[in-house]
Amino acid sequence: MPEKIGMYKFLFLIFSGLLIISCDSDVDAGEFVVGADYLALKNKVISIDTLTLDVSTVKLDSLVTSSESRILVGNYDDPLFGKVKSDSYFQVSTDYYNLYSKNSDTDATGYVFDSIAMIMRYDEYYFADTTKVQTLNIHRILKNFKPNVNDNSFYNNSSLSYDETSLGTITYRPKPIGKDSINIKLDNEFGKELFNKFKNNEIADSAEFTEYLKGFVIKSSSATSSSVIGFNTSSVLRLYYSKGTGNTEESEDNYKMDFTIADVSKQFNAVSSDRLGTFIQDLPLSKIALPSVYTGNKGFIQSGTGIACRVDFPNIKQFKYLSEKGAIVDAKLIMKPVKNSYSVMFPLPEKLSVYVVDNLNRIKTTLTNASGETVTADLYKDTDEFNENTAYEISLGAFLQKEMLKESDSKSGLLFTLPTLSKVVDRVVLSDQASKENKMKLQIYYITY
Amino acid sequence: MKKSHLFLVLVFFSSFWSFSQSIATSPYSLYGLGSLYESNFGLTAALGTAGIALPSEDFINNKNAASLVNIPANNFFFEIGGTGIQSSFEDNVRTEKRNNFQFSHMAFAFPITSKSAFNLSLMPYSSSSFKISGLKIPIIDGNNEYYYLDVIGTGGLNNLDLSYAYKLNNKLSLALSASVLFGNTTDERTYSISSSVTSIDKKVNYSGIRPILSSQYKMNSSLTFGLNVKSPTRINANKVQSVTVENGLGSSFLETNKKSDIDDFYLPLDIGVGISKSFKNKFNVTFDYEKSYWNATNQSDMYGSFADQEKFSFGLSYQKAKTARNYFNRIKYVIGAHYDTGYLEVDNKKIDDKNLSVGVSLPLDHLSSALFISYTYGSKGQITNSLIQENYHKLTLNLNLDGIWFVRKKLD
Repeated sequence: MPEKIGMYKFLFLIFSGLLIISCDSDVDAGEFVVGADYLALKNKVISIDTLTLDVSTVKLDSLVTSSESRILVGNYDDPLFGKVKSDSYFQVSTDYYNLYSKNSDTDATGYVFDSIAMIMRYDEYYFADTTKVQTLNIHRILKNFKPNVNDNSFYNNSSLSYDETSLGTITYRPKPIGKDSINIKLDNEFGKELFNKFKNNEIADSAEFTEYLKGFVIKSSSATSSSVIGFNTSSVLRLYYSKGTGNTEESEDNYKMDFTIADVSKQFNAVSSDRLGTFIQDLPLSKIALPSVYTGNKGFIQSGTGIACRVDFPNIKQFKYLSEKGAIVDAKLIMKPVKNSYSVMFPLPEKLSVYVVDNLNRIKTTLTNASGETVTADLYKDTDEFNENTAYEISLGAFLQKEMLKESDSKSGLLFTLPTLSKVVDRVVLSDQASKENKMKLQIYYITY
Repeated sequence: MKKSHLFLVLVFFSSFWSFSQSIATSPYSLYGLGSLYESNFGLTAALGTAGIALPSEDFINNKNAASLVNIPANNFFFEIGGTGIQSSFEDNVRTEKRNNFQFSHMAFAFPITSKSAFNLSLMPYSSSSFKISGLKIPIIDGNNEYYYLDVIGTGGLNNLDLSYAYKLNNKLSLALSASVLFGNTTDERTYSISSSVTSIDKKVNYSGIRPILSSQYKMNSSLTFGLNVKSPTRINANKVQSVTVENGLGSSFLETNKKSDIDDFYLPLDIGVGISKSFKNKFNVTFDYEKSYWNATNQSDMYGSFADQEKFSFGLSYQKAKTARNYFNRIKYVIGAHYDTGYLEVDNKKIDDKNLSVGVSLPLDHLSSALFISYTYGSKGQITNSLIQENYHKLTLNLNLDGIWFVRKKLD
């Protein structure tokens, strides 16, 4: 008997050894498949591109343009958006209230006024045709540089009363990339008066200074279309004076005093447009969207003036009835710019921002991904000459899935704007779903589970 | 006695451990409950799986529980088995070899009285083990669009058979068995659709009990008939599913371990008949015919498409003398052939299976302890545009341990 058990044990060991060793010896590369139809039967994957898309245009409430640190001035005529114009208001200040503060000479009486100029430094932003000459005029603000009561901001539709008389003017061809700055010579009488205020020690602090010089507005007065140019807030008002020895060539006897835009909250741009004769000449209040059927099957977006394009998915909830259990796994919204609506002069922005809005066009949230990152509609450029595939694309799977499952009747829409809302005048025109060319398209991928 | 106790515990333990391992993979196992697995006890693998009319004199004949009444009095049979399979899968473009060794069964049986016997067997019932990588499937209504599917299927069902056999008279014996089927399959799918990835992970739990009625009729000492009727059975199914969608906007969890009922699986009525005839106490010829009425199950499309199945099994054995002095004379030699029409229809073609087999039983003592070695070569399915042919070499090793437990009890 003991020998027998020994033999059993031996056999058992062989068995278990084989079991253990060989359990994982199976290699399956997964290339052999039988019945692809059967696999497709369990979970159906469906593509749908016929969901109705409602496109409309919204005129947003006024945009805050103060504290944006850009002096945006100029005007141009846009075939689709009308006559666009930007005036810029700002206040200057100084830390020094003595002419002699920067030198050892305490004899102020010896100084004489030479000239005064506004030095405008380009910040490299421009839009429209910079080959055209532009005429800018500088006016003096007459009222205190203050926003409305109970508000700390200025808006794209804010204005301050100013002296109609121009203090200085320039007619020039903007070179926002090649050159550093432009120099606008201001009125000598204005300069002399300012100089004397300091010379006679009539201004001792910033309050007295801003009381005397409340601010400036730079306006474009070109009658014809040119461009809108951005200058940065390091632009200065510069007062030149000298020792008055008559020997003006001696550099050490020439002095200057700079007045800077120290408080960017006291700088804003008034951006306006005259849309008469365009598709969007009758844009209603921000609560009401103007459907694309009234705007030539187009949706409009323009920064500065606050025009945004809204897209709605009125029938999204019908997906619930497609299958008892199903999900929108991916959805690509492809929005194509209207043919010939853009060019080198009117370039397409690389991205569009997307906001989730309610039925009154109130922004509820930005469209974000799971990790809270903001999602944008990105431009895909087509290299072929017809640009038929140039389009903005955004993935809306999760958003539409949520909309589909929403219990309440309220439906959210998406509002598209440029990423920069208030300090540029770039714009886009999108075709809607019914448009003849470059139709807007929504490709939905749905799975049953 | 203590030693052999310990030994049995070890065997049980290792067998249960082995159960958790997946058995042979097959692309066909994505259908139904997986590929159905037939555990062949003793030398039945070499007999072309025939055995409905064979006795249980020297092994536990699981083909027909009514045969259990033939276990000699006071004997206790314990059998454990394993199968090594080398398969080569072949389709129109490629061939792939796979090796696998798997646990086949573990069982014990003993007579209760001189007229009755009991048997318990534990074995795999089905294996759902497959892998699909990057299968390109057209999207419904898509404009020449495709999605890509990855699937990993694992799991399977186990079968715990409990049988009670009763000898009505010297010619007729009957048995009632209960096949307790239990287990689960998991199916992890990844759908790459456009720029999204959807994961559907599903675990389906199955359970059911299938009654089996069997009988053997011994016409005379050399001729036996057998009959097996397996009842149609509903296997209850419910699933636990998680669905996750990842796309440009992050992940969303549509379902997390959500339990739900799904269509139950139906096992068909199985009827098997067998005949066994001995010649000169040395040769034995046995033939089984089995039919499974899958058409009548009205199975849900979810499981695939099934059709009536027929199996033909033929076996021939030779043993010079069961109780000879010469060891080699006690060795049993077996050959067999088997044809199975298959029950699974893929693209309106059934997956048939045909094989030839040989085997020997090597006695280990003067009781019925033996090592059974069977080799089977066969081929399953056929190569078409959508189907695969699987050629396999199968080595079945079964070990039957026979003990006289009544005597041992006395020794204690």
